[in-house]
Amino acid sequence: MVNLTVDDKQIAVERDATIYDAAKAAGIRIPILCHDKKLHPFGGCRMCLVEVEQMKGRLIPACTTPVSEGMIVRTMTDEIIKARKLVLELLLLKHPLDCPVCDAAGDCDLQNLTYEYKVDANNFTDEKFHWEIDYDNPLIERDQNRCIHCGKCARICDEIVSYGAYSFVNRGIEAKIGTPFDGKLDCEYCGSCISVCPVGALIAKPFKFKARWWALNKVKSVCSYCGTGCQLTLGVKDDKVLTTIYDEDQGFHNGQLCGRGRFGYQFVNSDERLTTPLVRKNGTLQPVGWDEALELISTKLQEARKNDPSAVAALATPRLTNEELFLFRKLFKDVVGTDSIDHSAGYAHEALTAGLKESFGITASPSQIVDIQKSDLLLVIKTDAYETHPVIGFEINLGVKRKGVDLRIISDKTGKLAKLPKAVNYLHKPGCELLLVNALAKVIVDENLAAESAAAITGLDAYKGMLAGVDLNQVAAVTGVSLESIRELATAYAKAEKALILLPIGLGYPGHGKELAQALSNLALLAGKIGQEGSGLLVLGEKNNSQGAADLAIHPTAGGRDAAAIIDGCASGAVKILYIAGENPVVAYPDRAKVEKALDNAGFVVVLDLFLTDSAKRADVVLPVKSFAEKCGTFTSVGRHVQRIRKAIKAVGESRSDREVLADIIARLTGEGVAADSATLFKQIGCYSGVNYDALGDAGAIYPVNVSPKFVPVVGSVPATEEGKYALLTGSALYHCGTMSLSGVGPMLVCPEQYIELGRVDAGKLGVNDGDRLKVRSASGELSLAVKVGLRMPEGVVFSPYHFADASINSITSGKSVTWVSLSK
Amino acid sequence: MEQVLFRHNRPGRCVTISEYRAGGGFLPLEKALREMSPDQVQQRVIDSGLRGRGGAGFPTGKKWSFVPRDLPGPRWLICNCDEMEPGTYKDRVLLEANPYLLVEGMILACYALGVEHSFIFIRRGYETAATNLARAIAEARGAGLLGENILASGFSCDIDVHLSAGRYICGEETALMNALEGRRANPRAKPPFPAIKGLWGGATVVNNVESLANIPFIIAEGADRFRSLARIPEASGMKLFCVSGHVRSPGCHELPLGIPLSEIIDDACGGMREGSSFKACLPGGASTPYFTPEHLSVPMDFDAVARAGSRLGTGGVVVFDQNTCMVRATLNLVRFYARESCGWCTPCREGLPYVVRLLEEIEAGRGSLEQVALLQEHVRLLNHAFCALAPGAMGPVDGLLRHFEEEVVEHVIRGRCPFN
Repeated sequence: MVNLTVDDKQIAVERDATIYDAAKAAGIRIPILCHDKKLHPFGGCRMCLVEVEQMKGRLIPACTTPVSEGMIVRTMTDEIIKARKLVLELLLLKHPLDCPVCDAAGDCDLQNLTYEYKVDANNFTDEKFHWEIDYDNPLIERDQNRCIHCGKCARICDEIVSYGAYSFVNRGIEAKIGTPFDGKLDCEYCGSCISVCPVGALIAKPFKFKARWWALNKVKSVCSYCGTGCQLTLGVKDDKVLTTIYDEDQGFHNGQLCGRGRFGYQFVNSDERLTTPLVRKNGTLQPVGWDEALELISTKLQEARKNDPSAVAALATPRLTNEELFLFRKLFKDVVGTDSIDHSAGYAHEALTAGLKESFGITASPSQIVDIQKSDLLLVIKTDAYETHPVIGFEINLGVKRKGVDLRIISDKTGKLAKLPKAVNYLHKPGCELLLVNALAKVIVDENLAAESAAAITGLDAYKGMLAGVDLNQVAAVTGVSLESIRELATAYAKAEKALILLPIGLGYPGHGKELAQALSNLALLAGKIGQEGSGLLVLGEKNNSQGAADLAIHPTAGGRDAAAIIDGCASGAVKILYIAGENPVVAYPDRAKVEKALDNAGFVVVLDLFLTDSAKRADVVLPVKSFAEKCGTFTSVGRHVQRIRKAIKAVGESRSDREVLADIIARLTGEGVAADSATLFKQIGCYSGVNYDALGDAGAIYPVNVSPKFVPVVGSVPATEEGKYALLTGSALYHCGTMSLSGVGPMLVCPEQYIELGRVDAGKLGVNDGDRLKVRSASGELSLAVKVGLRMPEGVVFSPYHFADASINSITSGKSVTWVSLSK
Repeated sequence: MEQVLFRHNRPGRCVTISEYRAGGGFLPLEKALREMSPDQVQQRVIDSGLRGRGGAGFPTGKKWSFVPRDLPGPRWLICNCDEMEPGTYKDRVLLEANPYLLVEGMILACYALGVEHSFIFIRRGYETAATNLARAIAEARGAGLLGENILASGFSCDIDVHLSAGRYICGEETALMNALEGRRANPRAKPPFPAIKGLWGGATVVNNVESLANIPFIIAEGADRFRSLARIPEASGMKLFCVSGHVRSPGCHELPLGIPLSEIIDDACGGMREGSSFKACLPGGASTPYFTPEHLSVPMDFDAVARAGSRLGTGGVVVFDQNTCMVRATLNLVRFYARESCGWCTPCREGLPYVVRLLEEIEAGRGSLEQVALLQEHVRLLNHAFCALAPGAMGPVDGLLRHFEEEVVEHVIRGRCPFN
């Protein structure tokens, strides 16, 4: 610790703190324009100048100067005020005084400081710039004339997002933030640059002219897209969510969001939202009252409950809150008496609910997100981890670039993560993950690199026996990863003091199931990487509450039907009543034609959703439910993080929360009222008994687990290949998450339609360019898709995201990790 | 007069390596590698009192001593030859006549610092100098004086010549390192200082051409001999003064430090031009406050010039006669700095163009006394910029207001430039 005096206050701070940090810790505010706690110090704006007794004669920038023992700092003297005033006056020379039409007014650092320092008239006058405003991209409006050159946009894009869309160009007064070749902005559209812009130079287009900052009610909540669990602040006015607001003190991610989190909020107040319950009458869905709809559902369920509970099945989206999932399970398991409940197509949660359940005795990852930056070596399965969980991707970026984390990726494509400094991407043939992971374990055993701790874990002998059968030469030949690379990776992983494995799961990744999770668990156990900080295995659940759905066992646990069997049951007539809470099987589950037929064939289908989805269109009863912004509750995100969401607006139309609907149905079935408030329900959730709901606060809590590890040998098999065909991989597009982002407006502006991505060589062979169309034919169907040519896909491998309702990719996939397709113009 | 840097020079052409060696060149290197430890070399440079010739005048040996001996990882030496300040051309003259002195000085510095790889960062316009250096390096390598196992001493080091992309700010040592790394040439925040964390994060020393070129003499002849070369006891060594402006024969001369300004002008440069009388000069390049006739007797050494209210800087003396409008001359200089600002910090990026505008207004006869006061304020406040470029730019403005305020006010009162 270093002791210093700031404005007569004695302060002790860490050795690497700056004067700015020290003052902040002591509650002394030093004005800043270019400083951001997440970024490397910049020191350009000269607002934070202070006086240091030991460095008399000039003023010292607080944001770049480290503290030293005995420093005596003054943060406010006449000379300092003069210098700061000069900075403001100089900035206002060129900065247009267009506050009345600038969106940043009220949330503008320059405006606030101008007011604070009483710069009411400028000593200087000068011509303003007339840079052309960049209106040419869908989400970010760039007005260089308002720029004050703090460089935060360029820095955040480089340091954290690792994209590099901006850079300083030109010199002197002509210096500005430029894009490549001064063209229009073309980037990931995460909007991080907007969040840190201290003025109105960067504006979120969807929010432009919608409201004044001070008129917004700011409600803290949790993002409802992926499983990362980013905290966000909703900007609300007149019961509408108008924007997301940057708060640098929120969450492990310091308020950083990805594009869908920042721009995808518009589904909440979409005009397409369902507003009344609908019941199918004479073949069409007609608006009805809640009572009629609920009575109809209850009657059907009551009948089945008495006669044949097994004919009832239910699917829930892992976007529901824990409390809703609790009631969901209660209704179907306890009240109706069916075990046929599931979520995420049945396979997109298996890594947790079956894999880790057997390997560790828990349905959750033993590690947490904060372990990423504490690790020495990260082993990421698929570069897609960035696309599925972008903000976790930022953590990886920071780990690699700031902490020197050794990044290794086992992937079937060369995505963004592979481009990080010193990252090694072990590019393998599609579908070979399991083979590779077992081969790594084999090397560790062969070269005596196994940890001593492994010996005490049950099943080691059987595991070693299984590994004995692994032929490394064959693995190298099949996977396309050389023997040396396999050896090198295995050695690096085993020898790293702290090593963490990341496994993204989800509807787009059928191969990332139980077996892969177990093979990875085995590997981590063998190398002794479980149970210490910065090490372990982190399974990245796809949706905002995927972890909660796994924890609450929203899957068959007593021989009931899983999702695939439920769909088959509907088709065969065995399932007569299907209750779908928020899932959209028609678009998201494999084999669209089969799902459509099954839903048509089921006797009675209830769909609860925000929108009239393709699945809802086939239902007998459709109930409008609340979005995350209209209700309270908790989500559990990656790394067992339980966080509260808060009601920001009143219900859209007549919609009710799933919680209210479920409680109502239970009451109708049992004749007894059920508590439906979040606090009471949360306390009833057994697996969260270690978490105090009332103490969750803004930060949330990580619930504790006891890991009881076990080796569960899983044998990898050589994936089938089809000569002359392309391997089609599905997955997540960076801008989307599930199917909800289709209504999020922002994501659709950037990535509006189903596409097929292929490498340059294949594009050349097929004679297609960006935007052309290709016929994609598989054993189960054919689609015409827009072509996207890029550098990610190796030869012979193509990719298509799964989110889109039109030309949905599940029309040609069947739930296997690789679909073999032929491509033609 | 004894010459240190120009002693090997041949009239009208560049000296050859055999001529240089015949004149005792590379003997100091041999001597150091055979007889002296790196610490002894460093100590001798410290003892010599050699001060940086690039402008700031920081003691060279002391700068070296800031590099911790036990710091792990590679360390770097960079020779700053991005000479771009108006009125300064000494490094060019030196390198066009004799590149070997620098090469030898750099090898000695590398030896003292434990550097295996060093760079000469040279202004793109200096093509002849760069060609000379490339040849000198190749020849030195061929003669076993550079590269692996130099003179069988076990010490190895190499030198690379890097042509600057060409901006004045590249001469700022941290901006230079950014440029060398392939980044935009913005200065870096200090601390960390380059001696701890510089080029690619390694310990780095940046020295001027002339500073390094003095090292062989110091090693050969000893610290005391070097000190005694200067005219006054507090100074040490010789200095290249490059004189331009209204003198009879402008040029670059190697003269003892501490020589009075009047001697440089009258003896070395043949006095003022016919019909000209001395009005003012920049004593050390474009970033130094003016000297006036009252300063003609000031001994030209770092401390003495500083005591007289200016800086010795690079030794680039620009002389103005009685017909020079000092407002216009200053405007010309500040325009250069405003153009060369990297645009990183507010005072420099926005402030310098504003100072240009103020001076333009005054020069055009549209100025006001308030503007003169504003100018005064800027001299002080632009000191708070990120690097030394903006304070340097304000050097002449400071001199203008201190010594020629009447002339400035005359512009305002008469509503026109009195020299028109």
